[in-house]
Amino acid sequence: MLDLRVPSGLFFALLGVILLGMGIIAPDMRAALTDANVNLYCGAAMTVFGAFLLVMAWRAGRSHS
Amino acid sequence: MKLAPVDYFILFLYFAFVLGIGWRLRKKISTSGDFLLSGHGVPVWITSLAFIAANLGAQELIGMSASGAKYGIMTAHFYWIGAIPAILFMGLFMMPFYYGSKARSVPEYLKMRFDEKTRTFNACTFAVMTVFSSGISMYALGLLLQLVLGWDFSTSVLCSAAIVLAYTFLGGLTSAIYNEVLQFLLIVAGFAPLALMSVVKAGGWAGIQSRVEPVMTHAWKYMGSASENPMGAGLFSMVAGLGFVLSFGYWCTNFLVVQRAMAAESMSAARRTPLIGALPKMFLPFVVILPGIAALALSKMSLGYDLPMKDGGYDYNQVLTTLMAKFYPAGMLGVGLTGLMASFMSGMAGNVTAFNTVWTYDIYQTHIRRGAPDAHYLKVGRLTTIVGVVLSIGAAYYARRYSNIMDLLQLVFGVVNAPLFATFVLGMFWKRATANGAFVGLITGTSAAVATLCLTVAEGKGGWFGHVYSFSSAMAQNFWIAIVAWTTCFVVTIAISMLGRPRPDREMEGLVYGLTKVPHDATAKWYQRPAPLAVLVVVLLILLNIWFA
Repeated sequence: MLDLRVPSGLFFALLGVILLGMGIIAPDMRAALTDANVNLYCGAAMTVFGAFLLVMAWRAGRSHS
Repeated sequence: MKLAPVDYFILFLYFAFVLGIGWRLRKKISTSGDFLLSGHGVPVWITSLAFIAANLGAQELIGMSASGAKYGIMTAHFYWIGAIPAILFMGLFMMPFYYGSKARSVPEYLKMRFDEKTRTFNACTFAVMTVFSSGISMYALGLLLQLVLGWDFSTSVLCSAAIVLAYTFLGGLTSAIYNEVLQFLLIVAGFAPLALMSVVKAGGWAGIQSRVEPVMTHAWKYMGSASENPMGAGLFSMVAGLGFVLSFGYWCTNFLVVQRAMAAESMSAARRTPLIGALPKMFLPFVVILPGIAALALSKMSLGYDLPMKDGGYDYNQVLTTLMAKFYPAGMLGVGLTGLMASFMSGMAGNVTAFNTVWTYDIYQTHIRRGAPDAHYLKVGRLTTIVGVVLSIGAAYYARRYSNIMDLLQLVFGVVNAPLFATFVLGMFWKRATANGAFVGLITGTSAAVATLCLTVAEGKGGWFGHVYSFSSAMAQNFWIAIVAWTTCFVVTIAISMLGRPRPDREMEGLVYGLTKVPHDATAKWYQRPAPLAVLVVVLLILLNIWFA
């Protein structure tokens, strides 16, 4: 059975890396009503979340085999 | 709102993952049970999140932020009193019968407890309802994308429907449930930052309170009389209509959500599914309603944000997307938009998979072709997926053409669920209830609901057969219709049951309270047992309500 944490973790890690990249390459990009580098912070959070899911899945897979 | 290439890339990345999950799960399907019931093998954290996500459609997301701007924090009652108590009741008291009876669907439980006619009535109304709900949701999404991004209505409706069809056709219910979890996570990831930023910009909760009228930031304080609060619903109709009849009718008997819990791997997991789901559900108002209230505050701050307008009035349905455009740069904007698409897909897939199971088992296998080999029902299940999606698309175009009729249909669906909870509560907890009692009760309850709808007027709607009473708002009317329908069904079921002969006890083992062994897993850890989980949920719920009273 597919461990859902693997595709979800991969998805959020990829999403996070894309947003982090945007936040670093274009740090001045701002939406009208905010002064924060939204992509940088959201990207960091998503990368961490994605990595967390992947680590959980990896640990579960190791204890099974 | 303009999208950058990166936004489109994120959207396509999401589509690829959704389809990929469906593709990976296709090999798991070898029987109709795998396809339509997930073979009772889904882990409990997945069923719990899917339980909440199947209910979190695009309409919910758009509608809740709209209601936040229109009615304020009182909207949270749709979650706090309008969902959590019913969810707890379902997990603690009703799941033992659903799961323990080994019924494959909610209508099938009715067949086991009562008889064929009650089941068929419920299966048919449910099938029609799911098709129209997913159609209406599709219409709402198509309309919004057309308005905000200038996308063609047909293209966005057909493309998103095709993706939902592809992954549910490949992996059946399991694929729908797995994707619902990904969709739920994405909705939170896409909209929680928006809630945070809009509230911070509006000066935090204190800043919002100082800028909007006090009635918008208190959930209970102005509930005393219907005229004082923006919803126009008083305490009794709110608690009895929404908190009791409508929410218990929906969360305890609607197969769309019950199906997710029934897919769990054990009785204990099935009972814990709604209870664990209740935890994120309770905090969803902060993600979906709070941005609406913040938008109202922001519009009074001369920052260059105004509430969206249409035809001289506020167009609250655009609150969410206008906020996204003001707070998200390219990149995060793509995530938010993908979250919106995800919510639409989770709602639609939920409807399609529930429609599938009910059509295949409760209508086709019962009335059209009995006793065929299982492979035949698997094929029918797969074909039904296509039919369900095509019917939904038809309903979406129908909604586009006759948008007024849709208001009516939605009102009618509201009343179909209402009497059902009376039938279930009597069926599960009163062994004296008979098949004829249940059937007559359900029919009269539903008729009473329709009659109330047709004899009363609210906001210029209703009153097709006459004008007996006027409600202060459509919401109050909806609550009262539910109360009338439930009471009628409850009283009539009891009366007719008392006239008939009781069914022998031995035929109802596992179906009724008192004749069913509810397992006690006293050896499990506290978080693996239903009762302590329920206590935790209740404590948190009370704290939230005191905080925002």
